[in-house]
Amino acid sequence: MERSSVLTMRRAILFLLLLGIAAHGRASPDTVVLVVPADSKVIDLDSITVRKLFLGLPVLINGSPLHPLRNRSDARFDSIFLQQIVAMSQSAYDRQMLIGVNRQRSMRPVEITTSARVLDELYSDPNAVTFMWLRDVEHNPKMRVIRILWSD
Amino acid sequence: MRGSLLLIVLFVLAAPLARGDPLQHEFLLLPSADVVGTFDRRAPVTQVNDAVLKADLILSLQKGPFKLFGEYLVSNHEADLERFQLGWQMSDDTVIWVGRYHQPTSVWNHDHHHGQYLQTSITRPAIDEWEDLRGVLPQHFTGILIESSKQVFGTWRLRTAAAGGIAPQLTSVGLEPFDLVHPDGNRHQMGYQARASLHPGDFSETGVGVLVANDELTSVGTLPPRAFRNFDHVDLRLFALFGTYAATDWKVLSAVYYADARLNYTTAVARDSFIVGYVQFQRRLVFDFTGFARWEDSSRAADSAYLQGFEQFARSRYVAGLRWDFQQRQALTVQLSNSHTLDGRFSDVRLQWSAALF
Repeated sequence: MERSSVLTMRRAILFLLLLGIAAHGRASPDTVVLVVPADSKVIDLDSITVRKLFLGLPVLINGSPLHPLRNRSDARFDSIFLQQIVAMSQSAYDRQMLIGVNRQRSMRPVEITTSARVLDELYSDPNAVTFMWLRDVEHNPKMRVIRILWSD
Repeated sequence: MRGSLLLIVLFVLAAPLARGDPLQHEFLLLPSADVVGTFDRRAPVTQVNDAVLKADLILSLQKGPFKLFGEYLVSNHEADLERFQLGWQMSDDTVIWVGRYHQPTSVWNHDHHHGQYLQTSITRPAIDEWEDLRGVLPQHFTGILIESSKQVFGTWRLRTAAAGGIAPQLTSVGLEPFDLVHPDGNRHQMGYQARASLHPGDFSETGVGVLVANDELTSVGTLPPRAFRNFDHVDLRLFALFGTYAATDWKVLSAVYYADARLNYTTAVARDSFIVGYVQFQRRLVFDFTGFARWEDSSRAADSAYLQGFEQFARSRYVAGLRWDFQQRQALTVQLSNSHTLDGRFSDVRLQWSAALF
């Protein structure tokens, strides 16, 4: 009961935020959001879970692991990814990935360099999680925004 | 009845595979090349290998919660399937592995495995040396490994590992683990290990922990007569404490092992014990250099009947060196060591190139 109320509240806040950003003509193009396919079972991911996911640690929803996609289709995504999502320098992130593969036998997030491929992956994998510009997803019914990661 | 049960188990296990999860893969190559020269030699044998070229190949496959992991090491001296594991990610925090694994009660090897690039020093502590390089503790087992990580005391993490599997054998050339590719028909015994460590966060290297192991090692063939005449097997119990503090620019790590060896001869049982410990300090310097120093020492090692089978074991060793990360994922390291083995002493200088290639 409490959990569903909280989720409804979060959705309402997210909706209002998105509405506010959309109404504010200048902010919308410079907002990065976490997105999943519309049929994803993901309802909410807090920032710690998002960090774990993009650092290669397992995050399971109903027994299925989520698949993080590192979107590198825009050069600005790299600094946003390092500062806002994994909170590490490039060298520390590199080292963390090496340690993860060697020690925890984990998978690095798949890196994608074109927007078209990001969309293809999202459409074909219900467990995919990625980040994109809000302007690229706000009118796309095949995707769902989970949270705002960064806004200029 | 047994057939029906097997079908049910297979159906339950196969259900997630049919859900359409994509097959993911990961490949990592860790090559290295090193040369060593010895001086001030007062020991009959000082090195196993003088020059080593090697490539550590790591391949991971994952489909849904199921994983397949393999590590193959190729060098100018050996080619060996080091790890081969089938895993089931039970939850965010727990994974169960079946296959050949590195036992979790080696502090150094649990962190670095065979990845030469990932360890700052060229050599590992003598107590954590691999079996084929005359290591004194068993490292490769074939069985079950369960790893877990739980949130405790707010944001702290308790990482645990428990394992049980076929133990290596004692042979005339040291310990020999069970070979998955060329299995032998010898009598093998089991070993059991557990590890628990507490860390202030998910990704923190800082932490403290304890280890406990009980490994039974069977003897095969004719062992060196000095220690193992009429010998049958050894029950090796291990207890250890370890800790790491990792700051931004420096790190200190330490471990102390207490080993209790019960040597079972055909007519008698002998007990002995020894203590081995080490502390390593490393600091990042300017221009991507890292300086490091390690002190390894032991107590009662010279009197241990078990260690008499490993005369090259360094009962004390001083190590110092400098690593230069000159390119992304490539490093050059120079290292000086002074070792006191059970049958002498020597010094050595080493130079190594190591890399990590995705």
